[in-house]
Amino acid sequence: MEGRSPWYLAYRRLRRNRLALAAAGLFAAILVFVLAAPLWAHQVAHTTPNANHTLEKVEVDGEVREVVDREGKPVGPLWLGAGGRFFLGADGTLGRDEMVRLMYGGRISLLIGFGATLLATLLATVLGLLAGYYRGWTDATISRALDVLWSFPVTLLAIALGLALAVGGLRIGPLHLSGGSIWIPVLIIGFVYTPYMARPIRGQVLSLREQEFVEAAVAQGAGPLRVMFGELLPNLASTLIVFFALGVANNMLLEATLSFLGVGVQPPNASWGSMIGSGFELITSAPLLTVIPGAMILLTVLSVNVFGEGLRDALDPKSKVLLEAHAGTPEPQGTAV
Amino acid sequence: MRKLQAVLAVAVLTMVAIGLSSCGGSGGKEGGTLTGSYASFPELDPALSYSQEGWMAMYDTYLPLLTYKHADGEEGAEVVPALAESLPEVSNGGKTYTLTLRKGLKYSDGTPVKASDFAGTVERLFKINSPGSPFYEGIVGAERFAKTKSGGISGIKTDDATGKIEIELTQPRGTFTNELAMLFVALVPPGTPAKSLANDPPPATGPYEIAGVEPGKGWSYVRNPQWAKGNGDAIPEVPSGHVDKIAIKLVRNSATQVNEIERNQTDWMQTLVPADQYAKVKGKYEGTQFRVEHPISTYFFWMNTQKAPFDDVKVRQAVNYAVDSEALERIYAGQLTASHQILPEGMPGHKTFDLYPHDMAKAKKLFAEADPSDRKITVWTINESPNDKAGAYYAGVLGELGFGVKLKTINADNYFGIIGNLSTPDLDTGWADWLQDYPHPNDFFQPLLDGESIAPTYNTNTAQMDDPKLNAKIARLGSEELGSKQEDGYAQLDREFMEQAPLAPYGSIVTSTFVNDEIDLEKVIYNPTMGQDLTSFQFK
Amino acid sequence: MGRFIARRAAGTVLVLFAVSLIVFLIFNVIPDSNPAQNMAGRNASPTLVAGIEEEWGLNDSLPQQYATMMRKVFSGDLISYEGREDVDERIVEGIPATFSLCIGAAVIWMSFAILFGYLSARRPGGRLDRLLTVVSVTGISVPEFWLGAVLLNYLAYRLGVFPSGGYVPLTEDPLEWAYHLLLPWTTLSILYIGLYSRVLRSNMLDALGEDYVRTARAKGLSARQVMTRHVLRNSLAPIVTLFGLDFGALLGGAIAIEYVFDLNGIGLYTFESLINQDLPPVIAVVLFGAFFIVLFNALVDVFYAFLDPRVKLGRSAR
Repeated sequence: MEGRSPWYLAYRRLRRNRLALAAAGLFAAILVFVLAAPLWAHQVAHTTPNANHTLEKVEVDGEVREVVDREGKPVGPLWLGAGGRFFLGADGTLGRDEMVRLMYGGRISLLIGFGATLLATLLATVLGLLAGYYRGWTDATISRALDVLWSFPVTLLAIALGLALAVGGLRIGPLHLSGGSIWIPVLIIGFVYTPYMARPIRGQVLSLREQEFVEAAVAQGAGPLRVMFGELLPNLASTLIVFFALGVANNMLLEATLSFLGVGVQPPNASWGSMIGSGFELITSAPLLTVIPGAMILLTVLSVNVFGEGLRDALDPKSKVLLEAHAGTPEPQGTAV
Repeated sequence: MRKLQAVLAVAVLTMVAIGLSSCGGSGGKEGGTLTGSYASFPELDPALSYSQEGWMAMYDTYLPLLTYKHADGEEGAEVVPALAESLPEVSNGGKTYTLTLRKGLKYSDGTPVKASDFAGTVERLFKINSPGSPFYEGIVGAERFAKTKSGGISGIKTDDATGKIEIELTQPRGTFTNELAMLFVALVPPGTPAKSLANDPPPATGPYEIAGVEPGKGWSYVRNPQWAKGNGDAIPEVPSGHVDKIAIKLVRNSATQVNEIERNQTDWMQTLVPADQYAKVKGKYEGTQFRVEHPISTYFFWMNTQKAPFDDVKVRQAVNYAVDSEALERIYAGQLTASHQILPEGMPGHKTFDLYPHDMAKAKKLFAEADPSDRKITVWTINESPNDKAGAYYAGVLGELGFGVKLKTINADNYFGIIGNLSTPDLDTGWADWLQDYPHPNDFFQPLLDGESIAPTYNTNTAQMDDPKLNAKIARLGSEELGSKQEDGYAQLDREFMEQAPLAPYGSIVTSTFVNDEIDLEKVIYNPTMGQDLTSFQFK
Repeated sequence: MGRFIARRAAGTVLVLFAVSLIVFLIFNVIPDSNPAQNMAGRNASPTLVAGIEEEWGLNDSLPQQYATMMRKVFSGDLISYEGREDVDERIVEGIPATFSLCIGAAVIWMSFAILFGYLSARRPGGRLDRLLTVVSVTGISVPEFWLGAVLLNYLAYRLGVFPSGGYVPLTEDPLEWAYHLLLPWTTLSILYIGLYSRVLRSNMLDALGEDYVRTARAKGLSARQVMTRHVLRNSLAPIVTLFGLDFGALLGGAIAIEYVFDLNGIGLYTFESLINQDLPPVIAVVLFGAFFIVLFNALVDVFYAFLDPRVKLGRSAR
C-alpha cells in the first residue's frame, strides 16, 4: 500500500463529511453574494450603499410609492417589483437601498472577521512559539502579559479601545489611521483575541518541544529560528488551521457586538452588526431591518463553525491535543464577547 | 299640586345633582398615585441639573425667587414671583435688582426660609462648580468667589428681618430676570453641603417633595406638608397639585415605555414617543391620550464663515436654498417643526419668515455664481439618532450642490467639545442644536452668533460669525429689559442674521405628552421651558 | 498550600494593578476627551472650567491622578464625572440584576448542557446526537444581542407573552423577577448550552475510552451506572475549568443583554459609563470584574487539584 501524507488523508476524510461540505458550500454562496455587491449596485439597484433617497418615489406594478413616507417609515421589501431596486426595502429615513447595504456590509463584516483573526493568529503563533520554546523568563513575561489581558472582561476592553480609537484614530509613528477607518476594528479585535489563541499554542509548543524530532534537529546544529519555524511550526499547522476557522466565527460575532453597541464600524461604513444596531431603532415598525442582517451573520458564522468542526475531525479525529486545546480555548463568543 | 311640586322638586334636584357631578369645573378625582417613566436619569440636585428632564422633575419641588407661570405655550414664558413677593425692581441703569422674600415660608423639614438663604444658594453654585454658575458670574464679587470659594459674594446683600434681597451686577443684564427663575437658584437651607445631593435631595419649598431616590432605578414624590401649612397660601402663582404621590421609574427603552402606557401599567411617559411608533401612537391617541408639545429649540447646520468656501455669503445662501425641510421632516419621522430662522416659535421676538424656501435650482445657480475654488469640505455630525441621519442627509445635499464631501461622525460625548475647539482641523460645516436655557432671545443670539463669544475651546459660536454691527446690536438688546420694543428688535435681528446666512436652521424637535386613559390629558400643562407640570396631572 | 495562596495573592495584586493602569491609560489617550468640558456643559465659562479642573484634580500629573483615583476606589469615595454619583453605591445596586442574570443563566445552561452532552455521548453518531449537535452549533453561531432583540420584538412587544424589559428585584416579587428574566436567560443560555454540551460530549467520549471504564464494565456495572458514576464525574472537571475561564466573558456578555432588555445591572452601568467617557465607574467595574475573574480562577484551580490529585497545585494545569 502506498504511503499517503497526512494532509491527503485529512482531505479524504473531509471530502466524506457531507455536513462540512454543505457548510463550505453555504459559505461560498455567501462569499459570492458579497462579492457581487458592485454588480448589483450598478446594474440592478442603480445606486450606492450610502446614497440617500429620502424624497424619491419608486414605481411598483404601476403604482407610485414613496421610498420614505411622511412619517419616516421606509418602504418594505419590493423584491423584484421595481426591477430589483429596494429589493429588501429601504434602510430607514435616509432611504438607502437595504440590499445594496447588506452586500457591501457583508464585505466589511467578513473583512474584519478574517483580518482580525489573521492578525491574532500571527501574533499568537509568534508569542506561543517564543514562550514555549525559550521558556524561562520569556515565557514568564509573555504568560503574565497574556494573563492580564485574560483577566479583562474582554468586551469591556474592546469597547473601551473602540471608543478611544474611533474618535481620534490611531497615531503610532508612521502609522496613521483616521477614526472611521475599518482597520481600527481589525486591530482591536485581533489584539483582544490574541491571548485566546496564544495560550493553547504555547501549550502545544511546550509538549512538542519534548519530542524527538526537536532533539534531533538541535543535535544537527539547528538554531532557535530553524527549530521554531522549521520544525515546530509545521507541526502546529493543523491546530492553527482549526483555530483560524473557529477564530473567524468568534471575531465576526465580536465585531457584530461592537458595531451594534456603536463602537465598532463607524458610519458612513456599515457592517452587518451596525445594520442591526440601526435596525433596532425601527424594530417595531420594520423588524426585517434587524432580522435580516442578523440572519446573515448567523448563516455565515454557522457555516464557518460547521466547516471548522469538519476540519478538526478530518485533520485529527482522535487528537487529544487538539481536543484539549479546543476545550482550553475559551470558545467562540463565550469569552470574547 | 303638592305631589307635582314634590316630584318637580326631586326632578330638579336630581338634574342639578347630575349636572354638578358631570360638568364640575375641577371635575376629576383628587388624590391617587401617579406613575411615570423617564428614559434617562436626571440629576436631582437643583444646583446641578442642566437638562429639561431635570428641570421638569424639580419644577414643583424647588422654588426660586421667581418662576415660570404654570401655563402652556406663550403664556408659559411669563416670569412670575415664587418665593419673592413680586417681580424684581430694576434700578441703577439695570445693574441693581431688588426683591423681597415672602413672609412665613418654610422648607419641607420645617426650617424657615430666610433672605440670606439666597446668598448661600448662589455661593453653593460656585462651590460645587455647577454648570449653571456662569449665568451668575455677572454679580459683583461672584468671579472672585468662584476662584477663592470663600468670603461671600459682595454683590448680594440680604436682610433677614425685612426679607429684602439686593443684587448688584457688574453690567446691565437684560436676561437676569429669567436667570432668577432658573432652578439653579432655587433656595436651599443654609448649611446645605457643597456636594451633589442627587441621591438625597435637599428639603423642598414647593407643593411636592422628593421622598426617595434609587439611583439608576427611580424616585418618588409626596406632598410637601409645609405647602398645606402655609407656603401654598403664600404663593398663589404655583398650584397645589391633584395627586398625592408620584412614582417615577427609569425605563431606558422608549418603545417599552410606550408599551407600558398602552397596557395601563404606567400613567405617563416623560420621554418623546420613539420615531418608529410616533405615527401610530399619534394616529391612535391624539386628543385623548397623546399631545404634541413644542419645546423651544433650534436645530441647524453651521458653516465656518471665517474660512473658504463658507466665507462667501452666496455659498451659504445656496446651502440654505438647498436644504429641504420635507426630507428632514421624514428623517425626524414627523417630529420636526420646520423653520428657516434662528429664533424658534414660542420664543418672544419670534416673527415667522422664510428667506430661503427650498429651491435646488436656485441653490445651484448661486453656487455657480459664487464658484468657490475650495470645494473639498468636511461635514461633522453627532452619532446620536436621528441627528446622525440629518448630518448624513446634509452631506448628501452638499454633494449634490457640487462639493466634495467627507462625513465625520463623532460620539455624542465628544462632539461639542471637538467642534468647539478651534484647533480641530477641517472645521468646515456640520450639525448642531441649541436648546433654550430660558425664553429670552439673547440666549440664542449671544452664544451662537456674537463675535465676542468666540473662544478657542468650548466655543458655542461654531459659525465663528463676527459682524461688529450685529455684535453691537446683540449687546445693546441684551442689556435692556425685555419689552415689546426689544422683541421687535430681536425679530429684526433674526432677519438680519439670516440675510448673512451663517447658519442653515431647519427647525425644532417636538416632544410629546403621552398618558394612559386614566389621566385627564386636557388638564396636563406643558411649560415650554420647564416641561410637564406635575401639579397639573389629575386622574379622571 | 500556604505558598500557593501567597503566590496567587501576589499575582492577583499585580494583575489588578496592570488592569487598572490599562484602563486609565486608554481613557487618557482619547484625544479631545475632556471630562472638565463635559461636566461644565455647553454654557461653560473659563472660570467654571478652572473650578472643575481644580475640584477634580484634573490639573494634576497623570501619575498623581492615577494614585488619587486608586485611593478613592478602595476607600469607597469614588464619584463619577457624569451625574456625580457614588460609584460604589451604583455598583452595589447593579449587582442583583447582573448576578440574577448570570447565575440564573448559568444554572439553566449547565443543566441543559449536561443533559445534552449525556444524551449525545450515550449514542455518538446517532440521530439524537446529530440533532443536538446541530442545535449546539447553531447556538454558538447566533449573535446573542440580535437574538435578544428579535425575541423582545416578537414575544414581548407583539405577542405580549413576555414583559418588555426591566428588572424586578427578587425580594420584591419572585414570580415577576423570574418572569422578567426568562427572555434574557434564554438568550444568554443558548450560546453557552451549545458550547458546553459539545465540550461535555467530547470529554465523555474520551472518558468512555479510558481504562477505568473498561474495568467498571468488566466488574459488571451497567452502561448507565458507568456513565453516571464515573464518566460524568470525571468529565465535569474540565467543564469547571472552562467555567472559570468563561466567567470573565460572562460579565462582558451581560452588557449586550442588559442593554437590550433594559436590566439595571453592572453591565449596563459600565456600558453607559464607557459611552459617556466617565472614567471612575469604568475603573471600578473593571477592577471588580478582574478581581472576581482571578478569584474564580484560583478557586477553580484548587477545585481541580482536589478532583484530580495528580495535578499539583502551583503548576499550571494548562
